[in-house]
Amino acid sequence: METYVILRRGGWRTPEELKEAAARSTAEGDQLPDDIRWIRSYVLSEPDGALGTVCIYQASSPEAIRTHAYRAGLPVDEIVAVADTVVVRPDPTPVAA
Amino acid sequence: MTVTSALEQAGLLERDDVLDGLRRALADAAGGRGRMMLIAGEAGVGKTAVVEALCNEPNVRVFKGACDPLITPRPLGPFVDIADDAGGELQTVLESGASAHDIVSALLAETSGRRPAIVVLEDVHWADEATLDALRLLARKVDRAAVLVLVTYRDDELDRSHPLRAVVGELATRSTVDRITLEPLSEDGVAALAGDAKVDADELYRKTGGNPFFVTEVLAAGSGAIPPTICDAVLARAGRLTDGARNLLEAVAIAPPHVEVALLDALAGKDAGTLDECLAAGMLTASSTAVAFRHELTRLSIEEAIEPRRRLALHRRALVALSKPPHGAPDAARLAHHAEAAGDAEAVLRHAPAAAARASALRAHREAAGQYARALRFADSLDPEARARLLERYSDACYLTDRCYDAIAAVEQALDVYRTTGNRSKEGESLSLLSQLQMCPASSVEAEPAGRRAIEVLEQLPPGPALAMAYANLAAIRMNVEDAEGTATWANRAIELSERLDETVPLVHALNSLGVMEFLLHGPDHREKVERSLELARDHGLEVHVLRAYGNMAWAAVRHHAHELAEHYHAEGLAIAAEPDYDLWRLNLLATRSVLELEQGRWDEAAASATLATSDQRSSPLPRILGSVVLGLVRARRGDPSSRPLLDEARELAQPSGELQRIAPASAASAELAWLTGDTGAIDEITAQALSLAVERGAPWLVGRLACWRRRAGLDEPVAIAVPEPHALELAGRPEEAAAAWDRLGCPYDAAIARAGSDAVDALRRAHDDLMELGAHATAAVVARRLRERGVRGIVRGPRASTRANAALLTGRELDVLRLMSEGLSNAVIAERLFLSVRTVHHHVSSILRKLDVARRGEAVAAAHRLALLQDR
Repeated sequence: METYVILRRGGWRTPEELKEAAARSTAEGDQLPDDIRWIRSYVLSEPDGALGTVCIYQASSPEAIRTHAYRAGLPVDEIVAVADTVVVRPDPTPVAA
Repeated sequence: MTVTSALEQAGLLERDDVLDGLRRALADAAGGRGRMMLIAGEAGVGKTAVVEALCNEPNVRVFKGACDPLITPRPLGPFVDIADDAGGELQTVLESGASAHDIVSALLAETSGRRPAIVVLEDVHWADEATLDALRLLARKVDRAAVLVLVTYRDDELDRSHPLRAVVGELATRSTVDRITLEPLSEDGVAALAGDAKVDADELYRKTGGNPFFVTEVLAAGSGAIPPTICDAVLARAGRLTDGARNLLEAVAIAPPHVEVALLDALAGKDAGTLDECLAAGMLTASSTAVAFRHELTRLSIEEAIEPRRRLALHRRALVALSKPPHGAPDAARLAHHAEAAGDAEAVLRHAPAAAARASALRAHREAAGQYARALRFADSLDPEARARLLERYSDACYLTDRCYDAIAAVEQALDVYRTTGNRSKEGESLSLLSQLQMCPASSVEAEPAGRRAIEVLEQLPPGPALAMAYANLAAIRMNVEDAEGTATWANRAIELSERLDETVPLVHALNSLGVMEFLLHGPDHREKVERSLELARDHGLEVHVLRAYGNMAWAAVRHHAHELAEHYHAEGLAIAAEPDYDLWRLNLLATRSVLELEQGRWDEAAASATLATSDQRSSPLPRILGSVVLGLVRARRGDPSSRPLLDEARELAQPSGELQRIAPASAASAELAWLTGDTGAIDEITAQALSLAVERGAPWLVGRLACWRRRAGLDEPVAIAVPEPHALELAGRPEEAAAAWDRLGCPYDAAIARAGSDAVDALRRAHDDLMELGAHATAAVVARRLRERGVRGIVRGPRASTRANAALLTGRELDVLRLMSEGLSNAVIAERLFLSVRTVHHHVSSILRKLDVARRGEAVAAAHRLALLQDR
């Protein structure tokens, strides 16, 4: 599996919508355990007040990411392959834990 | 506590959840909804203990079989075990050498009855090919029987190329199959087991990694010391038994999977009397018919420690004992195993070929190759031509398991033999066979010299079927390089001779090559010859030639963008190619189908077909080249990562083949990537050689495609041959008419690319919209730039509009479910189609009803049509 960054810009209007999407994402991801693993996401506060995400996934291919997104009803703006990881500090505590 | 009960306790510790799951599956099975559970875990983790616990549930009937750790396992070993216990119809079927299909039917018939049945197939990581076939079939049929199938395997021993990997992947998608992975014990679990024993529980956990088998071996040895490996722990325990018991253990250890009770005296002599001691120590277990080690790790540890001379003596004794089994015929695979270990050449040469022939009949080609290889290791004393015949059969088994280079090397050795013995006709036949084999891993160019030599040799002899076949072979070679004249010359000779000799196979073969060449050159209206070849092959039951006809016509139909025909040939071909022996054809068909799907704009399907075609690391490069081209293009057009390595690899693999069908697609795809990334200067070099080859071979569609890429890169040059309408229009500077022609052919992406060459803002806008619709974001970005250069503002930059959920905010999965609802299917059938559980489908249906704000399925379907939700995405 390779690591990918996925941009999902402005996909949701409210935190509730995003939460539902996250539940669908997990459910569909469970159906493809050998192809896709959701690692973490950063929720973006978009200029127009909507919410977007930057997601880190491991996946067997870019196609697996698109299949998962299609099934779970998630937008995909861009998929970028991660060449290396540099962790300087652990992630800050989630704002809305 | 006795050793045995300690083992059982360890095996079930921390397994409550797993057992609950298995009991639920058993309850399902009892209700007539059969299930299969795949139970994975490392050696010693307790797979068998869990299985045993379930088998001890009241009111179940148990049918148990295990695969062998023999170097070359017995074909259908676990089913033979089951039949030995069950007898009846299953035994009759197995002894008659029936197919996996008949065996599974007989097994399910045997297990049907009032009480639910558990079928246990242990250690399938060692399974032979025939057993894996039977496993697949069982998974397909189990849901209609009151049967729970438990399959155990070691998942830590499955490397990438392990044949079980693909089978598990395939089975896991079925709704009737579940996978369970057993984890080692936790620290607390180990501490609980250690109890009052004189060991440091922390150290015990650390050294054993929580492996229940290892832990109990250490505890059973009772010395307080923790040996560094499982093997040491087992030997330490065996060291406390009497000499006689240790001798018995060794005798049983060399004869996996088990020793029949009736053979025990012959194998172990007076030491057989210590059986009770070994059973009480928990090292061996006994059923009514056989004795075996409680655990394979124990057997292995004991076997590896046997002193070499004693090992030899034990194998000799086993060879004698097993040649006279208490019932039925002796098992040639087991005899061959002991014959080799005993160094008995004469016995190997008797038993290994017999075992191989039986394996071949069951389509267990990997095992057949193993047995032939074993025989060949002892074949120095054989008559040279007898050895050559073994080599030929070995080659055939290798070819069928995709070991092309081994197959070629074996035929080359056989060829040497026939040259030495002066058998000219066999020499010619071997050369022809060699040439056919060389086509598979390499290309027609490399296969040609041997093919020509075969003809030279055979033409000096009275003309016979071998010469006709050699002509047909050369015709196929010239067809693959798309040399029309050469194909016709050799095919006509083959046809003329075949008709004179009344030989069907070379006639069918040559007609196919000749007919496909005409189809390729002149299009779908010129299929009489290949259709005649297909009909003849069908009439004579020549399945592989029927498949060859479909495969080649599918290829030619894709070349001519004859989509309906191509779909038909792919469907027919893939139905036949589902048989395991036709793997190579299956991969070729998947690869050409991915090209077709790409052209039709069905990119998810194209990517899926291409992934299947390339994931199987076969030695034939053709499926890999086409699959990589398609996958690379899908990624490049979408703007997804990892397209360049695929396209570079495809070009590298295609280059040395001299085959246009490989070189042209790889070259055109690389040109497109260069165009997408703004590196149009590279296109000249990328396409020059492929274009001149396409011109030389007279392949107008390929010439047109390559010429258009060169034109788009700004190379203004005349084209040497007439090209088909859409290309001709684009080259003539009429991009919009070219696009309309592509639309008529059903190639939406090609149409958009042609339209992108227009100067008109409207045409560019349409190209942009169509590309966004296809998900070709990278290509759309190129068009957007052109629009901006023309002063157009407000172009949607990202793909958001198209990936955003539809009007009703349904997810893709919900749309899939809705589509099937609109066909009037029930939740259960939808679950089956989408490989989901019925509960999940129910959940999706509720969500659909809520989002569409309706109460019933029929209303949902009506709303879907009203909102146009079900149009193709």
